[in-house]
Amino acid sequence: MMDLMSQNTKGQSPAMTSPAPMRDTKEPAKMMIEVQNLTKQYSDFRALDHVSLSVRKGEFVTLLGPSGSGKSTLLNLISGMTAPTSGTITIDGTDATNMPTNKRGLGMVFQNYALMPHMTVFQNIAFPLQVRKISKEEIRRRVMDVLKLVQLEHVADRRPRALSGGQQQRISLARCIVYNPSIILMDEPLGALDKKLREDMQLEIKRLHAELGVTMLYVTHDQDEALTMSDRIVLMRNGRIEQQGSPAALYFEPETVFSADFIGSSNLFSGKLKTVDGSKALQIDGAALSVPQAQSASFADGSDAVLLVRPENVRVGGQGAASAEHNSIVATVKDTLVLGGVVRHFLTLKGGVEVIAQDLNQPGMALPSRGSEVQITWRNEDARLLPADPSFSKKQV
Amino acid sequence: MSGDAPYLTSRAGILLLAPLVILLLLFFVYPLLFTLWNSVYEGGLTVRAYEELFTSTLFYKVLRTTFVISFTATAVSLLLGYPVALHISRQPPGRRVIYLTLVMLPFWTSILVKSFALTVLLGYSGIINQMLGSISGGQLNIPMVFNRFGAIIGMINYLLPFMILSILGSLLAQDPNLARAAEVMGAGRFRIFRKVTLPLSMPGVMAGVIINFTLSIGMYITPALLGGRQDMMIANLIDFYTRQTLDWPVASAIAVVLLAISGILVAILGKVRGSQGTMGAAA
Ligand SMILES: Nc1ncnc2c1ncn2[C@@H]1O[C@H](COP(=O)(O)OP(=O)(O)OP(=O)(O)O)[C@@H](O)[C@H]1O
Ligand SMILES: [Mg+2]
Repeated sequence: MMDLMSQNTKGQSPAMTSPAPMRDTKEPAKMMIEVQNLTKQYSDFRALDHVSLSVRKGEFVTLLGPSGSGKSTLLNLISGMTAPTSGTITIDGTDATNMPTNKRGLGMVFQNYALMPHMTVFQNIAFPLQVRKISKEEIRRRVMDVLKLVQLEHVADRRPRALSGGQQQRISLARCIVYNPSIILMDEPLGALDKKLREDMQLEIKRLHAELGVTMLYVTHDQDEALTMSDRIVLMRNGRIEQQGSPAALYFEPETVFSADFIGSSNLFSGKLKTVDGSKALQIDGAALSVPQAQSASFADGSDAVLLVRPENVRVGGQGAASAEHNSIVATVKDTLVLGGVVRHFLTLKGGVEVIAQDLNQPGMALPSRGSEVQITWRNEDARLLPADPSFSKKQV
Repeated sequence: MSGDAPYLTSRAGILLLAPLVILLLLFFVYPLLFTLWNSVYEGGLTVRAYEELFTSTLFYKVLRTTFVISFTATAVSLLLGYPVALHISRQPPGRRVIYLTLVMLPFWTSILVKSFALTVLLGYSGIINQMLGSISGGQLNIPMVFNRFGAIIGMINYLLPFMILSILGSLLAQDPNLARAAEVMGAGRFRIFRKVTLPLSMPGVMAGVIINFTLSIGMYITPALLGGRQDMMIANLIDFYTRQTLDWPVASAIAVVLLAISGILVAILGKVRGSQGTMGAAA
């Protein structure tokens, strides 16, 4: 019965920061990575399906998506470790589609760090400099500089395995930035760290990105990480790009049910659009919801649609009758959870449809008792009408 | 930690180990002690056998031959085995199984059969010499068996799978992302091999060398069948003393010395390996 909407309770409401200030506002934006119609076909499986993507100089772009959506595949094609079936890759203005990996001049950070176990930290970081035939004194100076940057000067002579996970990850960052690649690729670099360390490292990577002005292509399947770090999020699904845009755009203006469901928590009401008294309404089990009229213009009468309402926009115990701008329905309280800063109400409508509402926690707040009937309301301007997605029907019926 | 197997009490452990321990005591420790005893007891305790041994020029000559042959065979086995292991490690799993089967094939063949097969191949009127003869008009015939070359070829044939398997183990244990990371950082194939793949495979190389060398210095049938008269190895010398001169104490003393040499070698090489244990060892 949890199914008439899909509930994404993976994360708290994400910390939304104001969009990062645009770099290079004076010069025309220079594309560092341009990928066109890139396809990767394994014998009977298409891991990447005609993907086109451009990354500007200095931009922090995150590839976000569920497991198996093709994020690593795209990254490995750009790094040259996998060859594409078709399509082109341009790196810094040069066609790199068939360029060997070691000629692409990229930096890459791996999830399991990929530090050389037989070399000391110093030797590890010196490795890419030795490849570039840089003098001994210069190598020494640059390795120590970069160790200072990641605040790990004291571990230069240790072996990687004598370091903690977080330290190892900072060393692998140091090894990557020491040769100043203009593009850095990261495949779930924080996946192996615990939550607290992950948050520290997110800040550290953000800081390095800002300080070095480097172009970043970052892979994660953690939506919170994507929302806090990126200038732009590229949401992937089944080897294609589902939607891309700023974190705010993806959160507030998802274009598909998949986007709405994947990012943030969401109430997704699916039903048929019917015109009642000249305005469209969404017919769901046992209720008719009014929908944002401007958005409904593009939907045909009788078409299947999904209404997205974020839990934090649903008010419990509100007053006021339903109107064209406002939904107001009676719901039964099933449960109320106090989660530190927020309170989460789990409710059901008359027809059995489930709704989550979220409030900020306040001292002395009166919580509705379990089983009681309350009025829930939301403004239509906070809701979004989305085309139905047949592949989501399993979750909804 | 014992916590890993809470259901296995130490008593059950002892019980489970008992059959193996008894087997080893009966067929390994007892004969060993018997040999040791034999070398120092001739109606009373004596070191006569050792005195005779250490003053015998034959013993030193055979010892030197054994070392030269074992060293050569091990070195060639390493040089031949490493590229094979490297190649196998880079195959997709399906093909790797086929190649591994081919490597293991000599294991399943009796050492006698292999030795005779090699005579057919390398002998005076063997396949290779017949071919050489037919293209050179009977001018060319290279003696390849019943000399040191033959002994070493036969030994390598036996040693190679041990070398390949232990090197392959440490190649496959390497995190493939290490080579990838090196490649992204700009390293070419040769540098990746020299700086990453090779040093990380050293534990496997050392293990292969230890196994090959200790097997070599105890080798008996192959040098006897394929080697020449002057290629007598220590094991053949033991055979000579047990069967020709019937001097069992000296034969036992040689066996004890051989065991001691093997033990010392393993200890020394193990040290080298231990000092490089920080390399690789993808535990
Ligand atoms: N060598 C291969 N042969 C066949 N299929 C492959 C191969 N490599 C990847 N795939 C498939 O391609 C799809 C995409 O894989 P990819 O590694 O890009 O996913 P991902 O988005 O990075 O997922 P995750 O979050 O789990 O890392 C997966 O379904 C995977 O099984
Ligand atoms: Mg991946």
